[in-house]
Amino acid sequence: MKYLARKDSLCIKCHQCEEICSKAFFKTDNVEKSCIRITEEIDKVIVACNQCGICIDICPVKAITRDSKGIVRINKKECVGCFMCVGFCPEAAMRQHDDYIEPFKCIACGLCAKQCPTEAIYIEEKAKEQVAAISD
Amino acid sequence: MMNVKDLKEKHKLLTEYSYELGKVDKGYTNRTLYINLSENKIQAKSVTQMMKDKFIGGKGFGLWYLWNAVTPKTKWNDLENQIVIAGGPICGITQYPGAGKSLICTISPLTGIPIDSNVGGYFGPLLKFSGWDALELQGKAEKDVIIYIDGNKGTVKIEEAPLEAIDGHVLGEQLTEMYADSEEDKRNVAVVTAGTAAENTLIGLLNFTFYDVRRKVARLKQAGRGGIGTVFRDKKIKALVVKYKGVKGDLNNPVDQPMINKTGIKLHKEICKLDEKQNNMRKIGTANIIEVMNQYDLLPTHNFKYGSHPDAYKIASTVFIEKYITQGMADGCWYGCSMACAKAADRFQLKTGPYRGHLVTVDGPEYENAAGLGSNCGIFDPEAILELNFYCDTYAVDTISFGTLTAFVMECYENGIINKKITDGLELNFGNAEAALELLHQMSRGEGFGKIAGQGVHRMKKIFAEEYGADPDFLFDIGMEQKGLEYSEYLSKESLAQQGGYGLTNKGPQHDEAWLIFMDMVNNQIPTFEDKAEALHYFPMFRTWFGLYGLCKLPWNDIAPEDNALTDEPAKIPEHVQNYVDICNGVTGKNIDKHELIRESERVYNFQRVFNIRMGKGLRIHDKTPYRSMGPVTVEEYESRQERYDNQLEELAGYNPAEKLTQEKIALLRRYRENQFGKLTDAVYDRRGWTKEGVPTIEHLKKIGMDLPEVIEVVKQYL
Amino acid sequence: MIKVNGRDAEWEEDLTVEKLLEKNKYTFPKIYVKINDELVPQHEYAIRIIMDEDDIKVIHLMAGG
Repeated sequence: MKYLARKDSLCIKCHQCEEICSKAFFKTDNVEKSCIRITEEIDKVIVACNQCGICIDICPVKAITRDSKGIVRINKKECVGCFMCVGFCPEAAMRQHDDYIEPFKCIACGLCAKQCPTEAIYIEEKAKEQVAAISD
Repeated sequence: MMNVKDLKEKHKLLTEYSYELGKVDKGYTNRTLYINLSENKIQAKSVTQMMKDKFIGGKGFGLWYLWNAVTPKTKWNDLENQIVIAGGPICGITQYPGAGKSLICTISPLTGIPIDSNVGGYFGPLLKFSGWDALELQGKAEKDVIIYIDGNKGTVKIEEAPLEAIDGHVLGEQLTEMYADSEEDKRNVAVVTAGTAAENTLIGLLNFTFYDVRRKVARLKQAGRGGIGTVFRDKKIKALVVKYKGVKGDLNNPVDQPMINKTGIKLHKEICKLDEKQNNMRKIGTANIIEVMNQYDLLPTHNFKYGSHPDAYKIASTVFIEKYITQGMADGCWYGCSMACAKAADRFQLKTGPYRGHLVTVDGPEYENAAGLGSNCGIFDPEAILELNFYCDTYAVDTISFGTLTAFVMECYENGIINKKITDGLELNFGNAEAALELLHQMSRGEGFGKIAGQGVHRMKKIFAEEYGADPDFLFDIGMEQKGLEYSEYLSKESLAQQGGYGLTNKGPQHDEAWLIFMDMVNNQIPTFEDKAEALHYFPMFRTWFGLYGLCKLPWNDIAPEDNALTDEPAKIPEHVQNYVDICNGVTGKNIDKHELIRESERVYNFQRVFNIRMGKGLRIHDKTPYRSMGPVTVEEYESRQERYDNQLEELAGYNPAEKLTQEKIALLRRYRENQFGKLTDAVYDRRGWTKEGVPTIEHLKKIGMDLPEVIEVVKQYL
Repeated sequence: MIKVNGRDAEWEEDLTVEKLLEKNKYTFPKIYVKINDELVPQHEYAIRIIMDEDDIKVIHLMAGG
């Protein structure tokens, strides 16, 4: 299954990934509405969902599921806006913005990877068994 | 199980009412639903600004409607008695844990005064989203009815429903299935039921369902205390059903959704990070404290004689976690509760009773179940506790009252006050789980000694004295009830403040007003009478507030921020108090602070006290507690902790215990402790603005803004 | 003599916070400890030595079920 892999050391913090993501997702250039975030931290610069799926069991209405390609997706129609998934995401990659009453997240579409000038982010395949391991 | 179509076909529509769908504004629909079952009358009432200002919502609305419905002479089974169910302005938000509570008020069959009970499940929030801040139920139906509210269509129906089950776990499933269009639709249906034993006892409860989308069962949460289920069945209500499809995170139309989001997510993160190191609520819920209470000599054992038992390890929380409780589920009783304390044992096979052999989901055990049904009755078998827990819920019996009254019966049995002839063959010795279960089944069937026991400790004391010649003084000492309500499951003997926390309450000895044992007995943080009185002012007021807004108490202090110890008042969890101020202002647009929060509660708390006075049970004399809540009654009890008591006699009371008989020492200690309780009562009344007789003064009522003419009229007679 | 939560208690040599908690059966997980009003971090419980005449507070944070 695919996910957005990252090499923090290659990131030059150009923020182009955030721009393309928020434009694609919300038709606006606003980093607060990007599924991927570039932080000022030293060890963890790139924050994006690794599709570990911990949020799936947290959701009280089963609005979060893994699709056939392994991508963890939110069914906004079912979502009751509790944001428990935001609080319990080990990667802090489940995103929330006050303009919306549902959270949002990276679905590994790869648009940002294509934009990245240094290949700090790229779409990678991982075996099913590895999914949980990555969440550590 | 019968096909639900067949069940539904036999429904007979008595009346139908259509209404305009409402819209929630800043937490209120500004409308309540009134149903009279004698007249099949359904009507809408407006919520006034006065109600919002003085009573807020939830329990406040419940008490206000109840006050207007009854007279000082009203008994629980009179036509005019009401059951009022109300959420509260914060009820139904999904971002902050513990925000889906319903508050139920009625005149209690056990106490004769208002009881209030705080319960989870989806009914309260879905009732509000269907357009109603509260539901009043008055009168009695002729035959069993179901009341169905369709919050999407805007209809309310009263239907005769002859064929459905009575017991909670069956009826909850039947109606969820009946009113849902599909499996996915089931979570949009919330059901309120009682159970068979509610008809034959005075300790009946209400089950509130929430549909568990993973286990695919209708889970049950209980409005347990005070016999509300008994009133429900007396009104011939089989069930209430509300259906509302379309829950989103902003249906309360709050003024400041971002504030609520921020505050909620902050607490989710805190729980995610710290719960495992603190109370383990997500794994085992409130039962995490079974072994803690045992360790600190606070776990009621053998009718509150002792606080620990060598066999307690057999019912430790770890046993339930490892063997019975399904892990990793989203166990919140409303959306967004990341504390997730609503635990369940799945595929539990019943060994007794009408559902013997069935594989069922047991909701629990909560701490009170394990302590009341377990240690207090000398039962240290986890499977017996789960089975008792299951049957209490489905039969609609309050586990706390059942545990405490069964423990009382067992002590009476072991003392020869009652015998096998009186109990119809039940050998009710401590530890006899089989007999305890049979007693419960008798309550369901309305047979044998179960009918007597189901009257509660207060009435049993009278029966045992009058009919079986028991010593009424001894029964008063060991019968753990006050105002007619059975004690909940903590040993208060070594904490004077907690004796007040039980004794100086509005509804009776339930710890939801104040739990001060650690602050007092262990931490020694409130050594003087003034300190204790301050705590017995602050905490009951603070905790009353949850019931006004539709909130749960647990996320307040069953999790604490990492830096809580560094704050000025760690016991209050200041950061969480501020969270509540923030979400309150965020929903309602008010601008309260932590002081106004207390004032809001004071109004309703004092109103309830005056209500008790009006019903003839709100004075100092009614705050007297059984001696076992204060100290050792029997020789074996004293001698089991002789060193502790001897030391206290010497150090605190100034007696030399040497060469005195145990009986003498018991009397001396009793004199000392009763005197202490008297002084505490004086200090607490004074702090609360009450006279020595426990009556709120007019001056105080004016100061807090609860000087409604009808309230003043009542207190005047006692001043 | 030391004070534990305002009450007199016996002192002994090499008494650590950890030993004191054990002695008093203070097993509740949500506690904090102060020695002479200074907060002791949890990771120091095993090594922090209590001196004679110290004033110790072991505050249990629980206010009920």
